[in-house]
Amino acid sequence: MKPIPGIALVAAAVIATNALAFAATGLAVSSAAPGDLADPASFAAIADPQQRSAAYFTELGKVLTNPRCVNCHPAGNRPRQGDEGRPHQPPVFRGADGFGLESMRCSTCHQGANFEPGRIPGHPAWHLAPASMAWEGKSLHEICVQIKDPARNGGRSLDDLIEHIGEDTLVGWAWAPGYGRTPAPGTQKKAGALVTAWAQSGAACP
Amino acid sequence: MRPSRRDFIKLTAASGIALTVAPLMAAEQPPFLARETLPGRGVRRPPLGRVDGVAKVTGAKLYASDFRAADLPGWPADTAHALLVRTPHADRLYEGLDIDRLASIAKPAVVLTSAGIAAAGIHAPPFYAGNLFSPVGQTPAYLGEPVALLVFEHFDDFDRARLALRDGDFLRFGDKTGPLQKPNYGAFRFTRIAGPTPDSPDVYSPLQEGWISPGFTDDSGRPIWRPLPVPEGGQYVTGAQHGEAVRALLAGSDPDLLVLERDFETQSVDPMFLEPEAGLSWFDPASGRLSLVLGVQSPLEAAEAIAFLLSKADVQHRPAAIDTNFAYVGGGFGGRDHTPFPLYVALAAMFFPGKAVRLAHDRFQQFQGGIKRHPFKMTTRIGVDRASGLMAAFAADHELDGGGLANYSPSVAVVGATGALGIYDVPKVDVTTVARHSRGVTAGSMRGYGALQTMTALEVLVDELAAALPMDPIELRRRNALKTGGRTMTGNPYSVSVRTPEILDKLEQHPIWRQRAAEKEAARPGFLVGTGVACATKDFGTGADCALGTVAIDPEGRVSIHADAVEMGNGIGTALANRVAMHVGRVADEVTVAQVDVFDALALVTSGDPYSITQAAQDEAARDPRWVPEISSATSASIGAHVGTQASAEAARVIFRFGLWPAALDLWGIAPSDPRSKQWAEAFWQDEHLLMSGLSPLPLPKIAARAHAMGGVTGAMTHAFSRWAWSQASFAIDGNEWTADIDALALRRGSGPFERLERTAVAFPPTDYNRIGTAFTSLCGTLVRIEIERATGALRIAKAYSVLECGPMLAPEVVLGQAHGGFAMGVGYALLETLPPYEDGPGNGQWNLGRYVVARGSDLPLHDFDVEVLPPISPKEAPKGMAEVVMIPVVPALLNAISDATGHRFQSLPVTADMLKGVLA
Amino acid sequence: MTKLAVRINGHDHGPMDVRDDLTMNDFLREYLGFTGTKFGCGAAQCLSCAVIIDQADGTSHTSPTCVVPAVNFDGKAIRTVEGHARDGALSPLQTSFVEHFAFQCGYCTPGFLNEGQVLLERLERSKVARADLERVITEALDGHLCRCTGYVKYHQAVRAVILADPTRYLDPADATGDAG
Repeated sequence: MKPIPGIALVAAAVIATNALAFAATGLAVSSAAPGDLADPASFAAIADPQQRSAAYFTELGKVLTNPRCVNCHPAGNRPRQGDEGRPHQPPVFRGADGFGLESMRCSTCHQGANFEPGRIPGHPAWHLAPASMAWEGKSLHEICVQIKDPARNGGRSLDDLIEHIGEDTLVGWAWAPGYGRTPAPGTQKKAGALVTAWAQSGAACP
Repeated sequence: MRPSRRDFIKLTAASGIALTVAPLMAAEQPPFLARETLPGRGVRRPPLGRVDGVAKVTGAKLYASDFRAADLPGWPADTAHALLVRTPHADRLYEGLDIDRLASIAKPAVVLTSAGIAAAGIHAPPFYAGNLFSPVGQTPAYLGEPVALLVFEHFDDFDRARLALRDGDFLRFGDKTGPLQKPNYGAFRFTRIAGPTPDSPDVYSPLQEGWISPGFTDDSGRPIWRPLPVPEGGQYVTGAQHGEAVRALLAGSDPDLLVLERDFETQSVDPMFLEPEAGLSWFDPASGRLSLVLGVQSPLEAAEAIAFLLSKADVQHRPAAIDTNFAYVGGGFGGRDHTPFPLYVALAAMFFPGKAVRLAHDRFQQFQGGIKRHPFKMTTRIGVDRASGLMAAFAADHELDGGGLANYSPSVAVVGATGALGIYDVPKVDVTTVARHSRGVTAGSMRGYGALQTMTALEVLVDELAAALPMDPIELRRRNALKTGGRTMTGNPYSVSVRTPEILDKLEQHPIWRQRAAEKEAARPGFLVGTGVACATKDFGTGADCALGTVAIDPEGRVSIHADAVEMGNGIGTALANRVAMHVGRVADEVTVAQVDVFDALALVTSGDPYSITQAAQDEAARDPRWVPEISSATSASIGAHVGTQASAEAARVIFRFGLWPAALDLWGIAPSDPRSKQWAEAFWQDEHLLMSGLSPLPLPKIAARAHAMGGVTGAMTHAFSRWAWSQASFAIDGNEWTADIDALALRRGSGPFERLERTAVAFPPTDYNRIGTAFTSLCGTLVRIEIERATGALRIAKAYSVLECGPMLAPEVVLGQAHGGFAMGVGYALLETLPPYEDGPGNGQWNLGRYVVARGSDLPLHDFDVEVLPPISPKEAPKGMAEVVMIPVVPALLNAISDATGHRFQSLPVTADMLKGVLA
Repeated sequence: MTKLAVRINGHDHGPMDVRDDLTMNDFLREYLGFTGTKFGCGAAQCLSCAVIIDQADGTSHTSPTCVVPAVNFDGKAIRTVEGHARDGALSPLQTSFVEHFAFQCGYCTPGFLNEGQVLLERLERSKVARADLERVITEALDGHLCRCTGYVKYHQAVRAVILADPTRYLDPADATGDAG
């Protein structure tokens, strides 16, 4: 894939900012290469189970705060787009069901799969995460507390979260987003392993 | 000295290639011209609306991008598709196209590169001086420079190749060399020192002394503006010494003078006309004819440029005749005036003989290769007398980035510089400007044309001056406004009405302005409210504008019009129909635009450059009764209403005077000896009836039938030329001397052929009018009220008001629409649109809408935008162009409103929500 | 390659083999010559390429054609700008566009026309209050880009059709709106 110069620069900046933020928490930061996710086993050196659990989530945070995820977990009613996370053009809005306004449904443009001639991403269930699941502008701690809260996560249990992050095909799109969009780091399988490790280790928050 | 707005390759002289109209063969498809003749006879249409209204709401084939070979009678059945491959790098050696790898995806039938062009003896026209294709082994001159033209016989192969080239690396590059350094496109200095009183002659002005340009550059290629004491700089030295004196005054320590100096930068933007450039071509080796369908703002220029391109080619690549068909245009905004795109359309056909070939940009390609607006860097200094508020001196330095291929940069520099004083009258002025070459995508003509950039810097600075004095911003503008008869920066007055005081009064009285303090007070919690005002005056015309027009009326009273002006949305077809209807009583039901090859009866010839010709040369040339300074010019520079309709209007006037009026007299039974027979100027039309006091109204069909029966004038073809004044000529018609603002005339009597009339006298505007910056201008003032959300920086335009003047409105609804559109484009320019220069910019081929954001309906005060057009100052006032000026004040008004709301003055464009959020944090 | 059959303005086209990565826009413009449907950006940003898809349940919506594979239209019925007028008589919305000078260059007009028509048909089924009308029109048209006009007259033209027949489009509880 040919990188787009402007986008690559912005993406690098986003990663750098995140790294700084995580460093400030004082927790161990994984040694995974940029664009990859660490294996849960690589956190074995963290003796404190609570800290280790939080470290899993911090690592998972690379995915959650990635533009592939945040763009459709926006703070407002309008999704974002691209690695820069610019407001979605044309202007589209959440609508009553998260699938867009009546005059412009998500599926109008976003078909069942990515369509590269139009450089447009697709999935049969393309839609916005509910407002209660907004991640944009939130700290990883806030996202962690929110993601565990059934009142705000769509009534999901921890097992449901493992399923959602590790198996859901719309989430999985983040790792095959098509031309010009940097994939979420690692693989969906690796993200699933992290969320599993986190859930099974007490789901501590960073 | 003066840069032209167009090149002057005279077709017949330069190439020997005949421009002809192909006799169209009968086929089931209607001929191109029939499709482009609107609204068309017998078409049912609403009583109101544009002449192209029905065609455009029914999806008729109209635009160049609509046509395939199968749509055109006599053309081949199939259409091949061409692809213009452009470089995303201009700082390293280009080493070629990986054609083998591409061929594994889709194999092109033709691969045309620099080598093929050279071998065929093909040369770029001088206006586009540079390579048509980047040669292998060299550093491309600019981002987006073409490297190859590929032609595919089948659409699917073309489409696969297009996608592969868009998304993959098929171009090979070698060592980094850094970008090429090339000379500036032009540098100019405009200095004016007024005399001691408004009535006394100027001490120094470009009009008196001629235009000057520094002859020297430093090691980095920048012009040296100091008056160098060397003999070659003689003319420059005088002007520059006056200029330096203006600067010394501004740098001095006079406590009575408030001097502000500010830097301002504007960005590169794309015209973003909605129809990407497209064309269709076919070279028929059997007949030697090259046929094209194109959509441009400058039809004759495109035809001439193609003729030049091929004029010295080898026999295989040199057509015997070129048949150009110019279509309706899906938006222009200047970006289709003198674009090199048609050259590549022609090349596609010449290198795939016998086949029809389509070349069409997709949007990525249009961003990569289309003409852009010049970004400016400006420093502006104004000194104001603290007591009177009068501006004593003005100095500015402009630098604009013209990108990599020669285009209109020198001309944009001049218009920007001479527009830098906006609506004001300042006695001491010194402006320098330099248009730089860079590796950026080529910049050229775009709505506002330099004046948008410099007047934005000006009107923001004037607002700041008002606050610093302090003085009410409208009062400061009023005190310094140039009045009728006052001299512009080049030393000449405007020759049209100047209505700045009225415009300022309207702005001052408007509720948006009057309620600004109360509205600011009443801002909602979390929001800031601000109000901004700005006023602009913008030239229309270029100093060498012309029009061709034919009007004919048939025995049933039906009117048809042919004109060379281009319909790109500007409503020229409707304006033509309405202006002609004033004379012949009926709105035409057949209007064709963008025609340059249906005026053969005038047998016009031309020579020289209308901008630089000497008076002696013009006088000599004018002895040929067929000579005109220029035959056809681009539809640009807001010139449609004033010049674009002139030839047709004058043709209609001749038809009325020598065809319809004599017929009406005959029907009324008024003898030639009756004094009423001379009162043709007193008659007028209503509902297709001719009215004359004391006589029975006559229906047009009856008059037309009688005119035909009498062998009267039923058709007229004219040419008009303006160099800030009309060419005027006299003709002997039916024993009368007819003098009009035209310089060529052919008449049709009854149903006969058009026959040229020899002019009995002619006066062309003097050549020293070329020292005028502009003599034509129109005004627009804008008010905006904005609301900014503190937390997000989101800006909402709550209300807006624009007031303008343009003489009589030929198509009032079109004028309103232009004002709306200018507002929207101004909002985009001020708040949304930007293209980074160079490698991250559009030249990399990865830009499209979405990343590039233009104004949508939700960005605009759709229900709270008032537009007021001042009525003409006199029934004799001629139509004035207004399509550009309506955009200009919108931009500084928004910046001034932002300053009012936030207390922060932004000195660059665009001002985005993120930037607002930044200063509010 | 996949077989594609589609009904356009009441006429059947196909089945014919088309590439899976052929856009519907190119199918209409290059295969069938229906160039009334425009190509503007190829990225679903300007919507000059939008057509109307008529559903079996009697409802309709617009769809861009530039970012949608042609094969996704298999079996569908669509309307394009060429299909609005009947026997040379313009539809009320077409007439309103012309009378309001809604467009200038006209290149975005097919998209606005289709979107406006779908809105009219939706309002017939599900009326709105007069007070919500401007918002509803803006929501419907906002995806469409126009570079010439500033949108004012497009919105006026759509609104005029609705206000000319308020009982058809507006909630009768609140159909007394201004003459706009």
